[in-house]
Amino acid sequence: MDVFSDLMMGFSVAISPINLLYLLIGAMVGMVVGVIPGFGPSAGLAILLPVTFGMDPTGAIMMLAAIYYGAMYGGTITSILLNTPGESATVASTFDGFPLARNGRAGPALVMQAAASFVGGTVGVILITILAPMFAQVSRSFGPPEYFLLAVMGMLTLIVMIGSHWKLGVISALIGFALGTVGVDLETGQGRYTFGSAELIGGVYFIPVAIGLFGLGELFFAFYTGLHRTGTGGIVQYDRQSRFWPTAEDWLSTRMTMVRGSILGFVVGVIPGAGATIASLMAYSTERSISRNGHNFGNGEMAGLVAPETANNAASSGAMIPLLTLGIPGSASTAVLLAAFLLWGLRPGPLFMETNPELAWGLIASMYLGNMALLAISIFAIPLFVQIIKVPYRILGPTVVVICAIGTFSVHASFIELYLMFAAGVIGFFMRLYGFSPAALVLALVLGPLAEEALRQTLTISRGSFMIFVDRAPSLWIIGVTVTLVLLLPLLNRFGSRNAASAESAGG
Amino acid sequence: MRIAFFLVVLTGAIFYSYVAFADLGFLSRTGRLGPGFFPRIIGVAAIVMTLWALVDELRARRGPGGAFEQWRDVAVLIAFALGYAVLLRLFGGFVATFLFLLLTLSVLNPGRRLTNGLVAVIVPGVVYLLFDQLLNANMPPALIDLPI
Repeated sequence: MDVFSDLMMGFSVAISPINLLYLLIGAMVGMVVGVIPGFGPSAGLAILLPVTFGMDPTGAIMMLAAIYYGAMYGGTITSILLNTPGESATVASTFDGFPLARNGRAGPALVMQAAASFVGGTVGVILITILAPMFAQVSRSFGPPEYFLLAVMGMLTLIVMIGSHWKLGVISALIGFALGTVGVDLETGQGRYTFGSAELIGGVYFIPVAIGLFGLGELFFAFYTGLHRTGTGGIVQYDRQSRFWPTAEDWLSTRMTMVRGSILGFVVGVIPGAGATIASLMAYSTERSISRNGHNFGNGEMAGLVAPETANNAASSGAMIPLLTLGIPGSASTAVLLAAFLLWGLRPGPLFMETNPELAWGLIASMYLGNMALLAISIFAIPLFVQIIKVPYRILGPTVVVICAIGTFSVHASFIELYLMFAAGVIGFFMRLYGFSPAALVLALVLGPLAEEALRQTLTISRGSFMIFVDRAPSLWIIGVTVTLVLLLPLLNRFGSRNAASAESAGG
Repeated sequence: MRIAFFLVVLTGAIFYSYVAFADLGFLSRTGRLGPGFFPRIIGVAAIVMTLWALVDELRARRGPGGAFEQWRDVAVLIAFALGYAVLLRLFGGFVATFLFLLLTLSVLNPGRRLTNGLVAVIVPGVVYLLFDQLLNANMPPALIDLPI
């Protein structure tokens, strides 16, 4: 079957009434998750993962993916109207989004961000459709050495992007790896770190840890930063009657920005560890450098809003490629998505699209439909999201605690897991407070068992020689790419952050 | 607090490594890499990295971070959240959620009794309908049944 007929088959799966309903619920929930400041897609996914357990896997994965990319759409609404990014990938959207709103152009800014997100997301899905089968084809030649190196690449790129706190990122990852070793060793059957507890034989459960770190930990940190004290008094009002729609100039002047942002965002998204935040900052900086109006960035330039918006949505699509074709998550959010796959007994990897065509292509097709739905929701449901922004955080906070607790318990009806979630929440708060990386911990927790198994198999094959990593051509390629990324990414990150910081100061 | 957190991580790393070296073999009986191989690498790396970061922290000599107000609010929320974990075990999902929300909101959102009361009733109701009725999932059962 060729790509087109695969995609058509995917559409036939995605447009079943129940799957469409799940998709719409996911898109809507994703937007709500994005709108709530201090609450990213990883937290939303982790908390809502248990809710999907009673559902058909295809519909559930479609819904979770829609939450993931829907959060990118929602996060910008607060960036524009409140100067508070709903999540980290929409930080760059505040630089010109809020000045546009303050200049009386909130309506056009909101519509343009929705359009840019749609273009970025859709270009990203088109590229997934074309490239995912190719990636799967290439990765079929991969063996244990390559899988180990890919896991290392994912962790290393994530850690180098942390910047000056990289040592704390390494420690966070090591804690995640350590937690991943708890339970029965599958090769020898010996228990590790179980201390006689039957509950720990199966290992440290991913869901309570992820919900605790991302849900409760982020919530506690938001309270520490005083998010519950800052009301929504600073919200910029917008006119829905006149001056709501963008002008022809807005569309024409940003058309190439959308193309550049989409391609750059997608490429960055494919790199494990880089993610949507880096993509949006890099797109903003690139646009600022090449635009004729670069000097005006930070004062309400439409291209300054469109560039990061296309990039972060394209990046979230790009991140699905290593997930689907290699089974390697590149970010905390895709790590939660991978956990969802594993919980349903599905193992993403080179053969995934061949052995589960309905699910894989149904998911890709659903992303086309999801982006269309999100475009409509983003424009026409703005008043609803403005009302959500107005719900005080001091009421929202305790409600999130309830959803985290009941959601965790609902998975295995285990009080041990419930207590583990609360413990992870407190630890997650201190990790955020002191500069550690909960994302690195969760990624390592997911990748750890995979990396250990691959390393042990590799060294068994090579009879203990590490030369196997340079003897095999695919391994050598992965090492080359990893070294390039480790050297290049900090420079690009610095370039993006520096330009973004000067734009922020220009905008006041 | 910051140094204390580092010390807790370091203690954990030392304990983890001790178990890896004392209880878990580097090689299995068949001569392959054993269950202790990976944990030993992780444990040693964790000790080295934590010591390195700790030395950096001691050199940086930061002052105590965060105002009293910041710590008070987050401490209240953490304390109530941990209390909620206990209440869930004792009174089950619905009653514990009602009590937790009523108490927490009365502290964090004072003076708005009607709003707080409505949230404390509506949220457990919606959660019950969603998890117990719609999704057929488990709500925490009560250890002590209340006559309601």
